[in-house]
Amino acid sequence: MGSGRRSLFAGLAASLSGTAAAAEPPVPSRGIGPRWGMVVDLARCIGCQACTVSCIMENDVPPDSVRTIVNTYEVVKDGVPGMAMLPRLCNHCNEPPCIPVCPVGATFQRDDGIVVVNADVCVGCAYCVQACPYDARFINHETQKADKCTFCAHRVDAGLLPACVESCVGGARIFGDLNDPNSTVRRRLASEESAVLKPELGTEPRVFYLGLDDVLAHKPEGTPTLWRPQHQEGI
Amino acid sequence: MPQITEVIGISREIAWLPWAVTYFFLIGLSVGSFLLSLPHYLFGRPGWERAGRLALIGALACGMAAPVALLADLHQPGRFWRFYAHPNLNSWMAWGAFFIPTYLSGLFLYAWSSLRPAIAADAEDRGILAPLYRLFGGRALPWLSRAAATVAIIGACLVLLYTGMEVMVVRARPLWNTPFLPVQFALTAIGGAIGLALLLDRLLGGHEAATEARLNRALAMVLGASMLVGAAWFAIGFFGLEARHAQALASVAQHDSFRITAFEGQAALALAILLALWKPRGSGWLTGLIALHAAWMFRWTVFIGGQSVPKNAPGLYDYHLPLGPSGLLGIAGSMGLLVFLIILLDALMPPARTRAAAPGEALPGRA
Ligand code: SF4
Ligand code: SF4
Ligand code: SF4
Repeated sequence: MGSGRRSLFAGLAASLSGTAAAAEPPVPSRGIGPRWGMVVDLARCIGCQACTVSCIMENDVPPDSVRTIVNTYEVVKDGVPGMAMLPRLCNHCNEPPCIPVCPVGATFQRDDGIVVVNADVCVGCAYCVQACPYDARFINHETQKADKCTFCAHRVDAGLLPACVESCVGGARIFGDLNDPNSTVRRRLASEESAVLKPELGTEPRVFYLGLDDVLAHKPEGTPTLWRPQHQEGI
Repeated sequence: MPQITEVIGISREIAWLPWAVTYFFLIGLSVGSFLLSLPHYLFGRPGWERAGRLALIGALACGMAAPVALLADLHQPGRFWRFYAHPNLNSWMAWGAFFIPTYLSGLFLYAWSSLRPAIAADAEDRGILAPLYRLFGGRALPWLSRAAATVAIIGACLVLLYTGMEVMVVRARPLWNTPFLPVQFALTAIGGAIGLALLLDRLLGGHEAATEARLNRALAMVLGASMLVGAAWFAIGFFGLEARHAQALASVAQHDSFRITAFEGQAALALAILLALWKPRGSGWLTGLIALHAAWMFRWTVFIGGQSVPKNAPGLYDYHLPLGPSGLLGIAGSMGLLVFLIILLDALMPPARTRAAAPGEALPGRA
């Protein structure tokens, strides 16, 4: 991981000085290469859950789990109610607390910043599930191993966009190379105010939100939904 | 302050199952029981014979049952070898894979080397098992006992350290992320071990009132310390002396289930302390049960209760104990195994009166 981070800095330095790493084709390579990230423009999210469903279909997520979900809240401010959408997924953090805890080194960060689980090594101990402050991980009931958003690495490696990005009805999810100064993600981040979830934890998320209400950047306190679907063990 | 109502959200189910509670409970009891056996077997303190034997039975039985629960929590026990094939030494859990065998091998060697003379002396009364007793029995080997006890003491400290640190380092859960946690794990483990010895004193033949009183006095001290640690954690959160503790307290204080558990726990501890001091002879049944209950409930509340506090949602996640292997059946099975091991060890281990020779002590009538 150390060398990955160094190469990332090298990539950033190179891109800032104008010698940008090539963004296309987006094939992760060792050394200077892309650093994938996502920008979610909350004003464009209509809470349709198309991303939730397409992610499940694309990644064969068991029906009782999700890798991404659009949390929906009613927020009443100064007596005025409004709806707020918050698509949640793995943040592919720069300092991911899920990695050092893994007793067998099954979860790791690729040079392009994508945090993945090597299912051949994972023992299903769920330590990473505990350590992720974003609840982005779960134990897959079919494989009994850790599961999470992979930024659709299999698609990205093939030059495609992640499934949730491609299916996003409102065009709220934008995916791209944070090392490339000309990428949409970089341009949007440069021109608009963005925020990440729980910045105080120092995890340095690489999923950025445009238009995020500060009360939703942390654990929201209020009234829980009446029904939260949950996996139930057969008796 | 804006009001938030969650309209669409999901539950992340608990990922560390009741198996984890069972493992932490049993390994804690084993370590606590081992420490409780030291006054007799390592230091030869007079008056600790029966307590020492009961504690050693507890240490061995819990030490054998604990890894079973741990393996079950991996969802696929055959995966354990990967802990040794690809250890990530940044992870406390990885270190646990080395600390547990260190402790257990030290414990087994300590038990065997300490009991050697007693086993040999017991051979005559063992019928068809006599050759086995002769094989495993022999003269005292004080150097081996001391060396094994040292390994087991180091292993026990490492087990207490890693079990506490493994949970404490999880910053994502403010309730776990406190240095009070390893201390409280250790204190409730020792308290539970004394409670187990008190119960075994009643359940296994040969109850000794003096042993009960001695154990009750020790129990009062340990439970008192545990209450103080709990009070310190609460005070730091309540008065907002430290942000993480305040956050942790706030995440649970508004929920009745946590308030009731905390109140019930503190009241039970206070009752056990009062009983242990007021009636040290005769209250062992109750004080022992309360101490064991406290050790279990503390772990249950930390693990299951802690995981029912959402990281990113208001309220609490529901948890219903499943009846199957990852719930009630698993707990009942582990406890059944523990009872079986205790009965077996009690039957096989020489009685307390055939006192195990303290290191250096020769047994009368044997070379
Ligand atoms: S969001 Fe969670 S799972 Fe994803 S990289 Fe960060 S800590 Fe790891
Ligand atoms: S569940 Fe798998 S990836 Fe997660 S910490 Fe355990 S072994 Fe590592
Ligand atoms: S990037 Fe892929 S895996 Fe991640 S949330 Fe989107 S569809 Fe799911």
